[in-house]
Amino acid sequence: MAALLTPALNAAANPKDRSEVTQTKFDCLSRKTALILFAVAEAVLGEGFLKKAPRFIETVDDFLNYQRPAQRDQFLFALLIAETTFGLTIGGQFQCFSHLSIEDRRKILEKLRSSNINLRRNIYAAFVNVSASTYYASDLTWPDLGYAGVSVDHPEILNQPPPIPWRPEDGRPIEK
Amino acid sequence: MAGTIVEGRNVTDNRTLAPDFCIIGSGAAGGVCALKLTEAGFDVLVLEEGINIPQDDGPAPGQKRKMLNEREVDMYKLLYQEGGTRLSKNGAIKIMQGRCLGGGTAVNWSACLPPRLETLDEWQKRGLPFTRQNLDPYLHEVVNYLGVVRNDKYNTSARKFMHGCARHDIAAENLPNNTKKCRECGSCGVGCPYDRKMSGFVKWLHDAFILGANIYTDTKVDRLVSTADTISEVQAHFIDQKSRPTKRKLVVKPAKGVVLAAGAIGTPGILMRSGLDLDGRVGKFTHIHPITMTIGQYPEKTFPAYGVPDNMWTPKFGNGPTGYLIETGSFFPVMSASSTLQHGDELHRIMRDYYATGAISYAHHTTGFDDKEKYGTVELDINGDPELDYKIPQANLNPMRESVVMMARIHLAAGATSVYVMRNPPLEVKSDADFGEIRKIDFTRPQSASIFTVHVMGGCQMNKNEKRRCVNNDFTFRDKTNLWVTDGSIFPTALGANPQITIYSLALWASREICERHQRPFEFNHQGGDLPWPHY
Repeated sequence: MAALLTPALNAAANPKDRSEVTQTKFDCLSRKTALILFAVAEAVLGEGFLKKAPRFIETVDDFLNYQRPAQRDQFLFALLIAETTFGLTIGGQFQCFSHLSIEDRRKILEKLRSSNINLRRNIYAAFVNVSASTYYASDLTWPDLGYAGVSVDHPEILNQPPPIPWRPEDGRPIEK
Repeated sequence: MAGTIVEGRNVTDNRTLAPDFCIIGSGAAGGVCALKLTEAGFDVLVLEEGINIPQDDGPAPGQKRKMLNEREVDMYKLLYQEGGTRLSKNGAIKIMQGRCLGGGTAVNWSACLPPRLETLDEWQKRGLPFTRQNLDPYLHEVVNYLGVVRNDKYNTSARKFMHGCARHDIAAENLPNNTKKCRECGSCGVGCPYDRKMSGFVKWLHDAFILGANIYTDTKVDRLVSTADTISEVQAHFIDQKSRPTKRKLVVKPAKGVVLAAGAIGTPGILMRSGLDLDGRVGKFTHIHPITMTIGQYPEKTFPAYGVPDNMWTPKFGNGPTGYLIETGSFFPVMSASSTLQHGDELHRIMRDYYATGAISYAHHTTGFDDKEKYGTVELDINGDPELDYKIPQANLNPMRESVVMMARIHLAAGATSVYVMRNPPLEVKSDADFGEIRKIDFTRPQSASIFTVHVMGGCQMNKNEKRRCVNNDFTFRDKTNLWVTDGSIFPTALGANPQITIYSLALWASREICERHQRPFEFNHQGGDLPWPHY
């Protein structure tokens, strides 16, 4: 079904242009789906999310290469469906998803989350999982979590003298 | 003379090769078969769909694999099936499976448990030849060769778990690992950069390569070509660094046979693409261990990413057809964020509250013992790629709820102020009074909770029942005399334990069968000593 409807939905989609989305070349996204993705991510993550995840769009685009093509097509289809139909069918407003305020987009997310329809809950899960995992993949978000980073970048994590912080009751030095 | 490793992404011509054996898949089963068949003097070719992980010192002290940078965003896409985003057909279950040199052995958390005895008993009822006694030399060989150790350096999650279990008089035990002088970076799940985990590319494949085995990575098998009772040809194509076809092809014409070891989704997929579906039998009765997970929030910082990830467990709830094993782990930002099922300010609050001071426990649930259940089915999608259609069995519903209750109970006893349950909508448990909410979770309803699996088994099972049997007891595929299936797809049920050691052991057994068929030597080289599991 996705293959049949995607061209029509793509033609109908007219996502709000955002100056933050500067990319013009994509592997899997298009300019339109990139703008819809931005609108989705902004609803999931909040305004200004690119400040801490500046490569958000490129990262998702790159990841889509590795997905099974059928699953990737479903994700892109979900973006187009969200843009062209959710404003009316779920939000009750004659506006496309990306043109809605963050608050209204979040109301739609909330309705997707609690829907009795499996497909809608799956779309909710896909949108929040992709947005949240891509955002927290960025180093700039890690200080908010208290995550010190990976050992190959920060060998001191492994080499500091005992007590090693994640073994608070164990004073033994790590094996050489 | 050592073999060669060819990265398919760099191949600029079409190729035809004629080894003795073509092994499809370089994971636990493929690695074992590569070594043992090469030791027996065969000319062996291994095909791996994923990327090579070359030995190449990195900038960090002791880093042996430069490309393994521990960063989730890079490693999931490079080392896992579908970039770490593989889902069940209904979207409900995240399926984490390795796809790189070494397959699952490159990305597992290094937990080493033997096959559950009651599972072996069940398998015997289904006509499988394996017993605790006759598997003993295989288990010794694996344990001694890998140097499986009882590493008792526990991370915070493990310590909290031990503490909570002690308060409830639950036996918490050390879980052995296939690591050597572990550096405790916690990154087993994204590939050990220090070669301290004894992954396939550090041990089996490395040793096979030294003895002359040839390996092609970035090589995706399209189909097997059959003539009467044999496989005459393996057709494959190369893929580039972004997993796209390069338009270059590989044809393999094996002189002696094909060993299928592409995992419990990949192996049925190849067979179905090849028209070898045995009237629809292949792909049926595929099993997983569904995982439930909890994160306890503690008053102090816990550094949850670091330390040995998986060396503490309790077997207390592991018995029976729907038993579960609770283990502890390490966790990272991307993994956590993809499990919250949250958005907006609550997403960020939960990430902040439960990451820096969090400790994790999770439960693998046993499935597959009810012959009336269908369990999972591997199907081909519109493009011919395999996908798993799986619904959580009704019989597992209450055990899944109870595992979450038990993990929450253990966290609270260990001093957690709150326990995060990955329900939709999210649930924070602060006392026993909240357990009623856990017992209402409908895990059979997609997206009612975050559910994972890292163990996929079955789909091409060994079984005396003619209507279910895909693989004979000598590991050959029904009437194909030169096609062996040696991976976890032969399991007739889920195992009820982390399957790495069992897959290694059964692949050794399969290698012996192949060697005997061709009157070549098969030797155990690492016998003796005690197994690392008390009371086993």
